[in-house]
Amino acid sequence: MGPSISINNVSLRYENNIILEDISTVLEAGQCHVVMGPNGGGKTSLLRSLLGLTPFKGKINVHWSDKKGNIGYVPQKAAFEPSLPLTVLDFILLNQTRTPLFFNFNKKHKAKALQQLARVGMEDRALLRMGQLSGGEQQRVLFAQALLDDPDLLILDEPTNGMDENGVRYFESLIAELVKEKKTILVVHHDISAVRRLKATVHIVNGKLLESGDAESVLQPTKIERLFNHYRSNSANIKSEVA
Amino acid sequence: METLRLLASQGAQAGWLSESFSYAFMVNALVAALLVGPLLGGLGTLVIAKRLAFFSEAVGHAALTGIAIGVLLGEPPENPIIGLFCFCMIFALLLHFVRNRTAVPYDTLVGVFLAVALAGGAALLMYVARKINIHMLENVLFGSILTITDFDLLVLGVSCLLIIVGLMFTFNRILLASISPDIAKVRGHNTHFYDYLFVMMVTLVTIAAVKIVGAVLVGALLLIPGATARLMTKNMGSFVLLSSFLATLSCIIGTLLPMELKWPIPSGASIILVSATFFLIATVYRIFGRS
Repeated sequence: MGPSISINNVSLRYENNIILEDISTVLEAGQCHVVMGPNGGGKTSLLRSLLGLTPFKGKINVHWSDKKGNIGYVPQKAAFEPSLPLTVLDFILLNQTRTPLFFNFNKKHKAKALQQLARVGMEDRALLRMGQLSGGEQQRVLFAQALLDDPDLLILDEPTNGMDENGVRYFESLIAELVKEKKTILVVHHDISAVRRLKATVHIVNGKLLESGDAESVLQPTKIERLFNHYRSNSANIKSEVA
Repeated sequence: METLRLLASQGAQAGWLSESFSYAFMVNALVAALLVGPLLGGLGTLVIAKRLAFFSEAVGHAALTGIAIGVLLGEPPENPIIGLFCFCMIFALLLHFVRNRTAVPYDTLVGVFLAVALAGGAALLMYVARKINIHMLENVLFGSILTITDFDLLVLGVSCLLIIVGLMFTFNRILLASISPDIAKVRGHNTHFYDYLFVMMVTLVTIAAVKIVGAVLVGALLLIPGATARLMTKNMGSFVLLSSFLATLSCIIGTLLPMELKWPIPSGASIILVSATFFLIATVYRIFGRS
């Protein structure tokens, strides 16, 4: 069973730029939660705060039902240099085992890594360099990496970026499978129709938490334009400062 | 070591080995090459993956100042190991400390540190030149197999052992921390610790290899075998193994060749030229082998 997460008065700013302001909510355990909002609205910052990757004010508590479980994370993107001979299999092994890549002759390790790649339909690309893959394929490998330790909490930052339609559908079926297993999933997503298909709890963030609820009630056509407005209330202050 | 030198000498007298092996310094140099080669090649792959080529060059060049400080503080000019070790380690750790706390681009920061270290070294060498024959420093800067002692081999052996054991446990994590620090952090790895550990390993191997390759050229031996192996390999395992093999081969050939052909060139220059030849061959193969 995945954990529930309570977020209390979380604020984050970089110098004078307010990224998140007084966000409080509870993410129920064993559900899929989607964070949506306009560009620069603070979605990734919220995820990074939750993972402890960026300092913030306020409190975030992860409540595990039993002992602390594993966390899987798919970042928005990872820069893989095309000329570095790091294969897809190497990347998975890197995350899976401490045995150095130049000394890893363990067939069990490789079989497990290939099994993980098969889950995301990438086992036939195992020997390609990471830098040779398309953006969507890299996302699939990052997703396989996140699933390695059978995590109870999955945090995914725009995991379908660059994926083709097949990839997106495949990802959705995996998410549905994980929700059935009562994992807690937190996803940043941009595609409204894809989010509707996920049947998740949707949280709209634009500096503040604007709205939370099921996809049907939050993503109503009449609300979307207001919720996804790129500009924030403090943009008027900035304009006056510039003037 | 004495037994090894005796065996090599007997082998040379019996005609099984070249005459060069009858010299003790030659055996010492080859043992040093066999110790330092795999390590420089292996670490070099991480230097390339982490894009720290400029940094490894800077540490080598900073050795100049370390040597000057060591000699000024009374160390023997042919082996100022404490000054060298302390200055290079402080240089490397301070550079990374500042990098982690400022937004200055990394290559700019390395450039600044390198310039300061070189300027300091140049200034101090003026004082050092009054105390010793300045040509003795050439051995440290460009390597000299004649000066390798049993103590140097001991330092080299201990350094190699420490780094190899360290790498066996941390190679994957150092690499992951450089490719995706966020994933590494979420997995509970202390990315700063692995960064500093790697910087210390590079500095240690630089210092350990000074006698054979020379302080100025050791950075090149961290890079060239790795760059060659990158052209020829398809996965990380073979990348590291080939880089180590090429670095070792360069060290052995570069040490033996000037002796056999009686060329009056320093071992460091010879090793780097052999290594560069491998790189040239690999580059030509990649360019024309594909077309």
